[in-house]
Amino acid sequence: MEDEPTFDPDLIHAIFKKVWTRRAQERARNEAEDVIEGEAAAGPSKKNRSTSVNANGLKLSCELLRLFVTEAIQRAATIADAEGSTKIEATHLERILPQLLLDF
Amino acid sequence: MNGSKGEEEEESVRELLRDRFRLSSISIARSEALRGGMEVSDPVLACIGDLSFKYAEKLAVDLELFARHAGRKSVNMEDVILSTHRNEQLSVSLRSISNTIKVKEPQSEKKRKKPPRKEDKSVPSTIHIDDL
Repeated sequence: MEDEPTFDPDLIHAIFKKVWTRRAQERARNEAEDVIEGEAAAGPSKKNRSTSVNANGLKLSCELLRLFVTEAIQRAATIADAEGSTKIEATHLERILPQLLLDF
Repeated sequence: MNGSKGEEEEESVRELLRDRFRLSSISIARSEALRGGMEVSDPVLACIGDLSFKYAEKLAVDLELFARHAGRKSVNMEDVILSTHRNEQLSVSLRSISNTIKVKEPQSEKKRKKPPRKEDKSVPSTIHIDDL
């Protein structure tokens, strides 16, 4: 039984696929524009097929995303604790945000 | 092709995914805070939920770039580890997590590479005998 909540791999997969199909469509659109402008396309480009992810890559991605959230909380909690507070407030998060975004 | 209608649907699907993701994110954040004996304010949860979703989409872009740069269409664990290259501690953590994942892998997922062999298929020649 898991104590800690984590991200659902299917959800993350769906989010990734959305991004990848969007980008594949953009590439296809750009290629079509190139053709109209007179550049010869050498048949359907490999770049147009959207990216996929293997099972382990997906698991590790879920872990990475979970780490992002837990790091944010842990770092903000440290600040809150230093101020003698037991509740993490926006001011605590503000303090750690720049470094968090640099680290990820 | 319904350009704008298709785009609206796309956007609403994305928003649904975003909302589900943000809920998960909030759940993880609350749980982590509790582990440290802390509460979290709602604005902080909202901010973390929003930021982590943006990070997820950014991660998707980076992973695709790394995989394609390596000549692959499928993202693997190495790509995920590579995406953390700006933070060595994080890379080290991820690599050790990836080793744990590999160990838990069921045997059937491990591919065995067979060396390609040219087999001499000797086809018995059929001699056509005309019956006279």
